[in-house]
Amino acid sequence: MSQCNCDNPLVPELVQVSHIIEETSDIKTFYVSTMEGKKPFTPQPGQLGMVSLLNIGEGMFSITAQGENHLEFAIKKCGMLTDALHEIKTGQMIGVRGPYGNGFPIEKCLGKDMLFIGGGIGLAPVRSLIKYCFEHRDDFGSIDIVYGARSMADLCFKEDLFEQWPQEHNTKVHVTVDSGDENCPCNIGFVPAFLERINPEPQDKMVVLCGPPVMIKFCLQVLKKMGFTDDQVITTLEMRMKCGVGKCGRCNIGSKFVCLDGPVFTMAELNGLPNEF
Amino acid sequence: MKTITKANMMDAIAILAQDAQVLVPMTVDGISKFSLWGSEGTLAFSAVNTLLPPKDSLFPQTEKMYSYQVENQTITSLDIHNEAKQQIIFGIRPCDMQSIQCMDDVFLTKTFVDDFYRVKREKLITVCIGCNKTAPTCFCESMGGSPAGHGAADIQLCDLGNSYSIVAQTAAGQAVVEKWQGLVRDEEGSVPEVSCTLKVDAQGLPAQLSKMFNHPIWQEVSRKCIGCGTCTYLCPTCYCFDIDVQNNGNEGYRFRCWDSCMFSDYARMAGGHDPRPSKNERIRNRFLHKLEYFNERYGKNLCVGCGRCLTKCPVHVDITLFIDKVKEVSSIESVQL
Repeated sequence: MSQCNCDNPLVPELVQVSHIIEETSDIKTFYVSTMEGKKPFTPQPGQLGMVSLLNIGEGMFSITAQGENHLEFAIKKCGMLTDALHEIKTGQMIGVRGPYGNGFPIEKCLGKDMLFIGGGIGLAPVRSLIKYCFEHRDDFGSIDIVYGARSMADLCFKEDLFEQWPQEHNTKVHVTVDSGDENCPCNIGFVPAFLERINPEPQDKMVVLCGPPVMIKFCLQVLKKMGFTDDQVITTLEMRMKCGVGKCGRCNIGSKFVCLDGPVFTMAELNGLPNEF
Repeated sequence: MKTITKANMMDAIAILAQDAQVLVPMTVDGISKFSLWGSEGTLAFSAVNTLLPPKDSLFPQTEKMYSYQVENQTITSLDIHNEAKQQIIFGIRPCDMQSIQCMDDVFLTKTFVDDFYRVKREKLITVCIGCNKTAPTCFCESMGGSPAGHGAADIQLCDLGNSYSIVAQTAAGQAVVEKWQGLVRDEEGSVPEVSCTLKVDAQGLPAQLSKMFNHPIWQEVSRKCIGCGTCTYLCPTCYCFDIDVQNNGNEGYRFRCWDSCMFSDYARMAGGHDPRPSKNERIRNRFLHKLEYFNERYGKNLCVGCGRCLTKCPVHVDITLFIDKVKEVSSIESVQL
């Protein structure tokens, strides 16, 4: 696990937003680099970063991707900090600290077929592992990506979904929207039902599942019916966080802290924790 | 044994106050707490434990972390506030000493070291006074402690009536005792034995509680809670904090302050989802944190048996009665099995 190497883990590093992509009407992806144009730190797929506007607040976000010289955060507008982040322009200085959290258990996935299931902004954390798999393509078997959003306009990472990822070797991308007209280039329907139609085989497969709680709940039922076991299914959790380093107390589920021991858990691990989520 | 008379003890403290901030138990405006030696108030060495625990000497109620200046999208400065003065807590009781051990586990272990805590902790010397009487609400023995003293204190004192016995337990404590040359003498004496009258059976609690997450006991225990947070503010081990900001034009600072898991917005997320929407879940989280989760994570209870929450809860939510109830439940349910 790659860890924050700062002297004081509660103090952010000052960085700049080098590029902003408007994904949907309420989701933007922010590219973040140091003032010298370097990558602030090198996270593992699934790790987190604390992003701050110093005069407003800090929030923990999954790092959806990284380049040679930048980190990417895909952020949905849904509160005081994220509303303000959506107002900023390229060149703005912000704070960032991390990386935090455990990241995806890559060693458990090596040599396996991968099934990624995402809903809405839930594709953001999953995308870091999808990209990792493509960068280390020979380490994994087939890759299936099932992704859904409310409408065509709400799909994130459209270039990845429709142009980049379908070109990859031994990879299928399955996109669905809750509602759309006859011109819609993808499936229409909810993710769990779509997943049932795709009917993936459980043998030698790991599932990475992330999205709204209701989608997770019904996808789990579908997966179970297909014969997937709880230790084949990996998910990431969200809780309110302040410190990000397992001290401030509020993101616990039982004796685990989501910021430090998570955010990535297998369903088997979650079954061993109090049912607070 | 090495002893110092109570009259000489005042001189001994004055010696320490020459080059450190010495905090002593005092009653100030009717509230007993640890205050700076020489400040206004009445010394309260004979009180069993102070109403306010000494935790704010390591973990202030409000603490400035860093300040900044912003000009046209550019942050022009970011200054970390993290300096600590040499502090001596003189007269800390064994229960509160144990609470420092709990906070050490939280802030100094498990991957990340909290630097704001570390600098203060490294400059803290603790002089513990064993209790030769206990309050009716004291139950440190049941939580694994002892009224007689605490092995982690730099110096352990024991009240012998007219004098205190002195045992330096660390090198830092030894260095302090050496400053008291001429005030300390050798005499025969014996340390009185004291025991808590309030007792609970905390044996096996984590394992029992781990099976009771969905038990109706939580509804029963939370029914009268008013969510005031008094228990968490007076608790010597409650360490949860919030981080927030104070702005003034183009500059401002970010600070952390005590927070309480009893408050309704404590775990509420952006977008409105709250995993602990009612006091039922909040009380459950607090008691399980104290008696199960902390044990699982750090191998000790997060309750030291100081009794403050029992004394001051306005609706008499009582953690010792709760423990009794858990034991009752487990004995009934094991009979049923």
